[in-house]
Amino acid sequence: MISSLCGMFEGVVLLLAEAGSEPTPSNFWMPEGASKQAPFIDLSFYIINWINYFFFGLVTLVLVWFSFRYRQRSKHVEFSEGPVHNTTLEVTWTVIPTLILIGIFFMGFIGYLDLRTPPKDAFKINVTAQQWAWEFEYPNGAKSTSELVIPAGRPVQLVMRSKDVLHSLYIPDFRVKQDVVPGRYTYLWFESDVVTDPDDESDFFWLFCTEYCGDSHWNMNVHVRVFPDEDFEEWTKEQARWLDVIPEQDLYFMAGPKLYKRCVTCHSLDGIDGSGPSWGPRNGLPAIWDRVVKGEGEVSGGSKFIAGKNKLSDYIGDGKLYETPEAYIRESIYNPGALLVAGYGNQMPTFQGQLNDRAIDAVIGMMKNIDQFNADGSFKDQAMIEEAEARIAEAKAAAIESTPAEAPAGAVSE
Amino acid sequence: MTTIDTTPPGELAGAAPGAVTPPVDNYLTWSKGVASWAFTLDHKRIGVMYLLGVLTSFLVGGIFALIIRTELIAPGQTIIEPETYNIFFTLHGAVMVFLVIIPSIPGSLGNFVLPIMLGAKDVAFPRLNLFSFHLWIIGAIFTVLALLFGGFDTGWTFYTPYSTKTELGGVVPVIFGVFILGFSSIFTGLNFVVTVHKMRPKGMTWFRMPLFLWALYATALIQILATPVLAITLMLVGLERVFQIGIFDPAMGGDPVLFQHFFWFYSHPAVYIMILPAMGIISELITVHSHRHIFGYTFIAYSSVAIAIFSFLVWGHHMFTSGQSALMNTIFSAITFSVAIPSAIKVFNWLATLYKGSIALNTAMLYALGFIFLFTIGGLTGIYLGTLNVDIHLHDTYFVVAHFHYVMMGSALIAFIGGLHHWWPKMFGRMFDETLGRIAFVLVFVGFNVTFFTQFMLGSHGMPRRYYDYQPEFTIYHMISTVGSYIMAAGFFLTAFYLLHSLFFGRKAPANPWGGRSLEWQCTSPPPHDNFKTTPSVGDCYDFRAVHWSEEEQGYVVIRDDDPDTVSSAH
Repeated sequence: MISSLCGMFEGVVLLLAEAGSEPTPSNFWMPEGASKQAPFIDLSFYIINWINYFFFGLVTLVLVWFSFRYRQRSKHVEFSEGPVHNTTLEVTWTVIPTLILIGIFFMGFIGYLDLRTPPKDAFKINVTAQQWAWEFEYPNGAKSTSELVIPAGRPVQLVMRSKDVLHSLYIPDFRVKQDVVPGRYTYLWFESDVVTDPDDESDFFWLFCTEYCGDSHWNMNVHVRVFPDEDFEEWTKEQARWLDVIPEQDLYFMAGPKLYKRCVTCHSLDGIDGSGPSWGPRNGLPAIWDRVVKGEGEVSGGSKFIAGKNKLSDYIGDGKLYETPEAYIRESIYNPGALLVAGYGNQMPTFQGQLNDRAIDAVIGMMKNIDQFNADGSFKDQAMIEEAEARIAEAKAAAIESTPAEAPAGAVSE
Repeated sequence: MTTIDTTPPGELAGAAPGAVTPPVDNYLTWSKGVASWAFTLDHKRIGVMYLLGVLTSFLVGGIFALIIRTELIAPGQTIIEPETYNIFFTLHGAVMVFLVIIPSIPGSLGNFVLPIMLGAKDVAFPRLNLFSFHLWIIGAIFTVLALLFGGFDTGWTFYTPYSTKTELGGVVPVIFGVFILGFSSIFTGLNFVVTVHKMRPKGMTWFRMPLFLWALYATALIQILATPVLAITLMLVGLERVFQIGIFDPAMGGDPVLFQHFFWFYSHPAVYIMILPAMGIISELITVHSHRHIFGYTFIAYSSVAIAIFSFLVWGHHMFTSGQSALMNTIFSAITFSVAIPSAIKVFNWLATLYKGSIALNTAMLYALGFIFLFTIGGLTGIYLGTLNVDIHLHDTYFVVAHFHYVMMGSALIAFIGGLHHWWPKMFGRMFDETLGRIAFVLVFVGFNVTFFTQFMLGSHGMPRRYYDYQPEFTIYHMISTVGSYIMAAGFFLTAFYLLHSLFFGRKAPANPWGGRSLEWQCTSPPPHDNFKTTPSVGDCYDFRAVHWSEEEQGYVVIRDDDPDTVSSAH
């Protein structure tokens, strides 16, 4: 019986996986289904649903009917003998649920085997999770932190690791989830035919962190976008090179806001402190660059902290720990535990190996010109952006021509 | 040999007829002063003190819940910061699990009722019983201290390595608090096991025990066997934080998933520490208030023990996405389904008990019927989560939150409230206002479903749990859920009001207001210090043919045909 059950469910899995490139629409119980795994998981859910509706209806009906039919009518209780035991009945209501549950178990088991068995030719993407950001690294060296872009119609396998605590990668519309565990690799695979519009940033699926990981756990979400093969190829090439094609003078406002997306979970621009100090004016001090240049910022700990020296001016300047303010900022990004701003612990992860010199320049440039940015990190002057875009388009056209198959070392994440 | 103990002591002492009888002695008036309570060895007083502690903790945990729900009523910040939110949902979980649900039924109602049901003067080890209450108080104090040390934001599950890394200073105090609470739980369990084994009265064989005792007995076994694992695990987390020994943190060569195995090896059985005594209460409530012999006694008794045994074999179903091997997941899924069967058997037996009964729809019974409804939803939604492929989608979403609230609150806590109403006249000798009771039940029942049913849809649509903020499409569900929590809160405050009111203005309770047949209904309300003058003998505690309404008593009396002494004294 068991083998025929398995056979039946396997057939259904295969049949459903043939489903076309249209997503199953969102309904009362399930969100949009946009992966090849979604249809069988949904079917399993609905089968359990109908079984549950039946038993729940039965229990409720009997409960309400008996409570009404046999309600006590006076204080003088009429005692009826009534049955106190009935072996046939009791064995029946033990055996029937048992058989149903065995069937449900096998249905879940077959579906689960599919979820755990990636096709051999799956496209591999490395995922690094840390408090509170995702980083996706592609075979050609391209990196992305603001979105996970996958090729349509190809099985994709995520090879995942964590730099600090437990995280969990969850894409509801794909019905897949896997914890990301420090100290070991975990894997997840899926395949989607449902193409999202490459030119429309509002066309995406959500990716959530579903294992509690601290202060900004709730904010550790990015977008998933599914591109047709050609757009996907172009996107990965561009990702591998995007920073290199931005001219020097445009770096701080063209690259700055993109890089800032990694900082925004902890560092605001509007002066309201989060898990880290705001880059805007805070605690009666000016915005970040002026705080550093004037040395007014207060520090209270860290591996390079010297007792009694509580002002940044004790550390920055000729002959001091940091010759220039830029050197201090650079160290704060590569080695955040060196000097801790008063009131904050050593929570920030290092960005050594993730941000190269150009990226650091862009971030520092953004800090220097912070009044030119909106509170959400976007640049205020649209005209300047348009001019820069024209220059970048030229550089890009030249760069794509010369992109080698393997990316240059030190590619930078967006 | 009499089992009815309503004669005032004056008459017993042979006072002349017509003399002024002194007031009837009971455990509340037996001695006076704070010390007479704080250091009492009387199981009834210890039960009442547990009750006070548990209800106070419930108020605290409930306030955290209301703050959380208010924060979530709309997207974006409503009333608190993200860091505060994380601390509050952690505290809500920790307080409700460790200070409310686990000690609620065994500690308060169990302590009060168990020895009386056995016709005994007290539990087997009264001093150990007092000690376990004092440990509970110390554990609760450490949990409060954790707040003064900066709170903790690990979730009630203390998952490593976050719990060994988080900078908030409350983690070590709360771990120590839960460690102590664990011993309180172990000692109570030990006491109950010995009491049930050694102190059953003449005529009460194992299969004549009230089902509440079977449930408490099965619970006690889990408390003794599982709780030490939690204690050891939490001690290791504490040591790891302080001495960096590298058991769970991979940065030091440890394994974070090992913690999850240890934690759920206790915490899954702990779910049954919560639900088994609740099922015991429901078995009592259903049979007494429908005045009908329980259906399938043996099946219910065995299913309690079966659940206790299975509970130790299913912990891995909390870890289907943890990185645990596919083979382990499959085995745990299969065993998980087997727990569903004894639970289903109990529901069917309760329904069959109602058949041809004479059902009194009073407050306690409404809670019992509400329990069956809510537990059915809680149990059936567990099937989705035990099914491997469906759980992958639902794990760590609001679907899980809704499911375990239906089981832990909708079932365990609702049964506790129902049991509290059932035994309230016995505990305090006063009747509460039934009309207000029914209104409050409706508020709690409706509020509960409005709050938590919406969370099933939130979860199945992909809303992760422990999120401070959410996407706008989830707003409507969150809003409804929050409104439900306010309705529920109104119901609980109304309950607090009429129960407190009854203490001062309630009608005096007869010995047996509901028509119960087990021994606790055969001593006065409230019971005397020693419960019974002599050890009573017992018959079938679910044979209600011997229970009759007495106008004179304004309550029920038990008249056993096989006991000439009883027959003569009742007439």
